[in-house]
Amino acid sequence: MIKVLIVDDDIEFTEVASQILEFLDYDVCVSNSLQEAKKCLEVEFFNHIFLDFMLPDGSGLHLIEHTNKLQHKPNITLITGHPLIKSIIADLSLPNIDYITKPIEREDFEKALNKRKVSKTKVAKQDNKPQKHFDCLIGESEPMQTLYQMINRVAKTNANVLLIGESGVGKEVVAQAIHTASGIKKQLVATNCGALSKELIASELFGHEKGAFTGAVASKKGVFEQANEGILFLDEITEMPIDMQPNLLRVLENKTLVPLGSTKEVKVNCRVISATNRTVSEIAENNILREDIYFRLAVFPIEIPPLRERKSDIAALVRYFLDRLNEESGQNIQVSEEQLARLQTYDWPGNVRELKHVIHRAFIMADLDKQLIVLPKNLQSPFSHQKNLLLNKNLSAGQTIEDVEKELIKVTLSEVDGNKTLAAEMLGISTKTLYNRLNAYGEL
Amino acid sequence: MQNKDKHPDLNKKVHDARTPLNQISMQAELIKILIESNGSAEKLTEAAQKIIDNCQKCSHSLQQISEALRQ
Repeated sequence: MIKVLIVDDDIEFTEVASQILEFLDYDVCVSNSLQEAKKCLEVEFFNHIFLDFMLPDGSGLHLIEHTNKLQHKPNITLITGHPLIKSIIADLSLPNIDYITKPIEREDFEKALNKRKVSKTKVAKQDNKPQKHFDCLIGESEPMQTLYQMINRVAKTNANVLLIGESGVGKEVVAQAIHTASGIKKQLVATNCGALSKELIASELFGHEKGAFTGAVASKKGVFEQANEGILFLDEITEMPIDMQPNLLRVLENKTLVPLGSTKEVKVNCRVISATNRTVSEIAENNILREDIYFRLAVFPIEIPPLRERKSDIAALVRYFLDRLNEESGQNIQVSEEQLARLQTYDWPGNVRELKHVIHRAFIMADLDKQLIVLPKNLQSPFSHQKNLLLNKNLSAGQTIEDVEKELIKVTLSEVDGNKTLAAEMLGISTKTLYNRLNAYGEL
Repeated sequence: MQNKDKHPDLNKKVHDARTPLNQISMQAELIKILIESNGSAEKLTEAAQKIIDNCQKCSHSLQQISEALRQ
């Protein structure tokens, strides 16, 4: 049982405090003076002392000095009702000493006693709130600084922008940032080309007249017209069927469109920000986007860095997500230094979106006693392994099995940070076989 | 600040008022705990009585502060 000593000359206080602490399952002793307290400490060991600052036979600080000579130093909570004393104690900043102020509630006792148990888990230092760039982007890393510079430059021009980046890097957020930096008052109009069926895409982009097709009960403005004199964001542009692309080219080139079922041309003047999660070489090689369209859309291409290339931003992002979750739920859950370090060792194939979801889950699972998030044992997303394989495979007909095997071992090893036993287990071979293979390949 | 300079003992009086307030707060906590743990009616009454007594003490201290300010 944890032993607690209360040192205070106010008998009414010690009486009620000891009753409360006994109900909370602590073994409580009371002293009403310094001398009494010293005697208690001579005969018994206490885990925790609640200590009044002003005692009839001296200051509480004398008892602190006395405990410093003891073999097992108890933790001390000073009790004060005086604001001046509070600031003196804060200035002392002694390692195993804190203070509570009167009027005292049960929770104050619990916090003082529980804090000791968790003091080993250092809560990551709360810096100032993460700075938001363009009111939506977070991160101070070098790749992000370059990105901010590009956004600033391009926002003031009228050039069409193509945002290139892996899934989850925040392409729509960057589009929003460009919109903010441009100073255009009209809201950003956004649509996802990948989410539209082939039949609906023309109607969504260019609009339709009443009766243009079955179900077209009223006329509708397309996104180009909605974004007139503003900015249109076309997400997943590379998922647009290639036979639809000539229509898009006409709008981009002539700034005119013809809604479905109409004969009249409509003039539109809007700037287009488009986005894709495919690489430029993939777009070119696989004939995903017509060359003429590509050059129209990518007057100013911007590559958004994946999270693994800006790991120094993870801390700020985690704090930002936690701040928002805390705000929504009125809690104060934090992240520890160790947890941040662990988050930084992971590669985040799903990028910021994956990080956001991991933090949300860890927040739901939070340890309420310690006020800390609880991360999953395994950060691996079901897609990460598969994705790494895809990223590294470069499989082509005619490759030798040996080459593919070599690549597979390499990917597996990097996945488990070089742990050969784990890698062998994942590959379904014995550790000995793995060592033999590695020897044969010259250790990869 | 000015008031404090005029009445140097005001701080002490405020401190005196805080002592019964602390008692009220802690006795109320004790009542909550007693209810949680099915404590005896006798103990509950005792804690409630202490709250009432300390309200009187607090009121007395506030009265003294008020008088000190009027001087």
